[in-house]
Amino acid sequence: MTPALHIDAISAGYGEAVVLREIALTVAPGEILAVLGKNGTGKSTLLKSIMGYLPKLAGRIAIGGADVTREAPHRIARRGVAYVAQEKSLFQDLSVEENIRLALASDRDWPKARAAVERSFPFLLERIRQRAGTLSGGEQKMLLMARSLAADPKLLLVDEITEGLQPSVIERLGGVLRAERGRSAAGILLVEQHIPFALAVADRFVVMDRGEIVDAGAAGAPGAAAEIARHLSL
Amino acid sequence: MAERPILLAAGMAALAIAAFAGATQILDTYSMNVLVRSLLYAMVALTVDILWGYLGILTFGQSTFFGIGAYAAGLVFMHVGFSPGTAVLALAAGIAIAVLVAAVVAWLAFWHGASELYASVITLVLPIVATQVIFSGGTWTGSSSGLSGFETFDLSIEAWFVLAGSLLAVATAAAWVVMASDAGRLIVAIRENEQRCKYLGIGTARLKSIAFLVSAALAAVAGYVFAGYAAVVAPELVGFVFGTELVIWVALGGRGTLLGPVIGTVLVDYESAQLSGDYPFVWKLIIGLVFVAVIVALPRGFLPILGDGLKRLGRWVGLGGKTTARTATLVTAARRTVATASDGPAIRIRGVAKHFGSLPVLRGIDFEARAGELVSLVGPNGAGKTTLMRCIADGSERSGGTIEIGGVSIGRLPPERCVALGIGRKFQMANVFDSLTVAECLQIARTRIDRPSLVRRSTELALPGPAARVVATTGLDQRLATPARLLSHGQKQALELAMVLALEPKVLLLDEPTAGLSKAERMLIGGILTDLATQERLCILLVEHDLDFVREISSRVVVLHQGRLVLDGTVEEVVGSETVKQIYAGAGHHGAPAEAAR
Amino acid sequence: MTALLLDVVTTAAILFAVASGLLLVFGVMKIINFAHGGLITLGGYAALITTQLGLNPWFGIPMAALFGAVAGTLIERVVVRPLYARPLDAILATWGLGIIIGQTIVLVFGREVQFAAAPLGGTIDLLGESYSLYRIVMVPIAILLGLGIALLLNGTRLGLATRAVIMNEDLARGLGIDSTWVRFVTFALGSALAAVAGALITPLSSVDPNMGVPWLVNAFMLVLVSGTSLASLAAACLVLGGAQVIVSSLYSPVLGGITIALLAAIILRTRPQGFARG
Repeated sequence: MTPALHIDAISAGYGEAVVLREIALTVAPGEILAVLGKNGTGKSTLLKSIMGYLPKLAGRIAIGGADVTREAPHRIARRGVAYVAQEKSLFQDLSVEENIRLALASDRDWPKARAAVERSFPFLLERIRQRAGTLSGGEQKMLLMARSLAADPKLLLVDEITEGLQPSVIERLGGVLRAERGRSAAGILLVEQHIPFALAVADRFVVMDRGEIVDAGAAGAPGAAAEIARHLSL
Repeated sequence: MAERPILLAAGMAALAIAAFAGATQILDTYSMNVLVRSLLYAMVALTVDILWGYLGILTFGQSTFFGIGAYAAGLVFMHVGFSPGTAVLALAAGIAIAVLVAAVVAWLAFWHGASELYASVITLVLPIVATQVIFSGGTWTGSSSGLSGFETFDLSIEAWFVLAGSLLAVATAAAWVVMASDAGRLIVAIRENEQRCKYLGIGTARLKSIAFLVSAALAAVAGYVFAGYAAVVAPELVGFVFGTELVIWVALGGRGTLLGPVIGTVLVDYESAQLSGDYPFVWKLIIGLVFVAVIVALPRGFLPILGDGLKRLGRWVGLGGKTTARTATLVTAARRTVATASDGPAIRIRGVAKHFGSLPVLRGIDFEARAGELVSLVGPNGAGKTTLMRCIADGSERSGGTIEIGGVSIGRLPPERCVALGIGRKFQMANVFDSLTVAECLQIARTRIDRPSLVRRSTELALPGPAARVVATTGLDQRLATPARLLSHGQKQALELAMVLALEPKVLLLDEPTAGLSKAERMLIGGILTDLATQERLCILLVEHDLDFVREISSRVVVLHQGRLVLDGTVEEVVGSETVKQIYAGAGHHGAPAEAAR
Repeated sequence: MTALLLDVVTTAAILFAVASGLLLVFGVMKIINFAHGGLITLGGYAALITTQLGLNPWFGIPMAALFGAVAGTLIERVVVRPLYARPLDAILATWGLGIIIGQTIVLVFGREVQFAAAPLGGTIDLLGESYSLYRIVMVPIAILLGLGIALLLNGTRLGLATRAVIMNEDLARGLGIDSTWVRFVTFALGSALAAVAGALITPLSSVDPNMGVPWLVNAFMLVLVSGTSLASLAAACLVLGGAQVIVSSLYSPVLGGITIALLAAIILRTRPQGFARG
């Protein structure tokens, strides 16, 4: 089966500062891969490189079998990639509906998107005309998740969606991610610092340190949490 | 020890003046007539080039200063009459008014936080306002038809030609001397990275204002001579269209070179006079087309292209076209006796808060650090670490609380004044002057302490002990003549650290100095930092993501989380803290344990 | 008094029409289009051609829109696109384009002052005052233009994409929006608006190759104090345009000519965000 995402020895960075060193990983359709690691180890940079925001110094990235190493972000998005950035990822001054519509290829897809929102976060439909900036922090994260699922993505890139959230909201987001994996064949790459959440949701994990992958394993394996904690401790 | 380009410049200027005198024998009267104007325009273009090409201030307003000089002559000669006394008076008045107007414009255009676009906008408003002022002067200023028929200097055309040529030659040579001096290097540094200059303690707004005032005075002199020669002044001289023409000539010749704009102006203006009689509109159309093409495709203008071509030709025929600018040699700076204010803390932070709109990013931060301490600030993304650094280095950043350096409050001081209190800030991404060499970057960093000369380029680079040590241990001393952009990322980080240390700070702020470095480079920097704290008695505040690094080098650790100070303790205390473990493992997100720890 | 009030409102309307295209381009591209003056002139000559062809003068407006859009398309592709990263150079290059447009017009039409037929003439009695009908009509036209732009931005998918690019270009690209295309369309539209404004102002003044330049500076200053909002632009046109009318009629027209530029410069010095919220 063609992998949803295949990364072949990618190196990337800002100017001459190399942040990623020969990263290689694969996400199969219907699989959730958690990327763990301390702050500043290159996890967010990895997602930005996949989305085409950063030029690659070396290596190759394929999405659904197509080489996208040199493609622009909007072309990659149109291949069915939804990217949930960590910061400034909503249009605060636009309404809930407008935020979701922007992720669709055409307004004709709106009924389908509406159904997807109804499935995951029905409360958003009651507040469809509200400005996104007036939602609470947790609600904004749910809108982000709803928007990224609305276009029925083939690959979902999520950057620390749990940061600063209440446990109940985190649980709800986890439930939606698991349901989505069961329903569609989307591959999901989940960058996280919240280890319990990541291990509960993901199938596999990798640990990054200083721009390299230093560990990998099955999320359900006994002792996975302890192994990861060892990497993250001071 | 210093080089003296001033003799060379004087020689070149004398040669040029002799050439102008010789040219009077060859040129016909008509050509000289046209060229007097072109040469004076070139002098104004030179000031546009200094401001735009060298300092980065795109100005549309130099025409106004030219016009002020011209109108000073016109008005005085017309209404008071012409005599040697009034001639001197008119010149003095022209320069004085130009400088005064320039001071107002500079006050409007250059302030902490003003954008480049805003400064350009102000220089655009200036000629528009000035033109209307002349229109509203009625018969006194001659309104739209200007002033003519006033008595003026009785000089032959040859004399005017040599006078205009001499003025231009002297101005160009003087500009060359300044640009080749320490001050010239500073000007390039301001254009390239004004923010870094401010954080090196350089009052860039003041320096820009001074350059603007001097340029205004020079343009006024050119305008005065023009009015004396032409015996006519008109509102067009003051206006916006002439202002933009000057910019066009500079762009065509080559901004950031001295001869380019001078040659460009003389050629275009002279050719305009020749051709616009026959094909006025086609000529302007061609200038417009060439100008757009140059801006889009050859932003450096024609002279540098020509220069490159000549160099290539020179190499091809075997003439070694090597120009080796001498690089300064390293010496150790004399240790300055610093008045150490008692044995109080080097930095004291009380109740510092910062919010963006209604969003708080820092709340009630309190801590102190003494000389010789290396305090690491850690915490997850969004904890407010970098924001706190910004608040310490720029008095206008914080929303509340006080910060004292060596017992002196920073109040609302801008970054360059905070540097004077003893703060040195290293940025997260290496922030150096890419087009300058390593030695030049370090010399810029010494500007605050070693006043740069206007006429000389110093051949010594005096660094204080700590900076010299960084330069030596990272191998930068072998690469003093290398442009900073060619350094590796690690070397750039080291260079910026050395630049900040060259300020002789009491408190060193480092924002992720090891980001993007290899393991070996990280160890090297770590060793240097601990040495600086223990041996040089610096107080170092370090923002760092790499917790292993923090553990190795810190004497104390401060943990921030969601804008609050959660823990302030030894490395062991922080490593052993449950709160910190929870923050980093992600379980402390709802904040309850963090609150409990306080 | 009534006449003064009518002057304020109609002047604001005219300024709004002239500046709206520039605002659109500045909002999306963050560059100042100094060819705006040249494009206004182009619109004036579109109106002149309409007159010379003996067509209904109202036809000059779509004609100007077409001229402006075609010119804008060419300018964006050839000159503006390579200069997004160099905003000060973009000002210079578009100023150069203004010269090119002006000189081309001189070569084709000559440099003399000409007159285009007005779509409407005569006066209207309003609040006991006899006032130029065409100036009055500028008010609903400006309102229609403003509403049209607002509808386009708020009611269409392209408008939504455009607003997204204005607010956060990187985020918009990550959602599949081709920001290069959005910029291209915006520039063509802004240029068409400039030309329409040129056609609209011809009955109030004359047609000559430099007619756009004085308007350019005022439009530019109004846009700078308005940020990216149409509502702030309307407010700025009323306040600064009103000040211009009052200074012109109470003191001197010469001083009135520089009122907008001077006030805008001072406003920006003391309140950098100008009329925009924040």
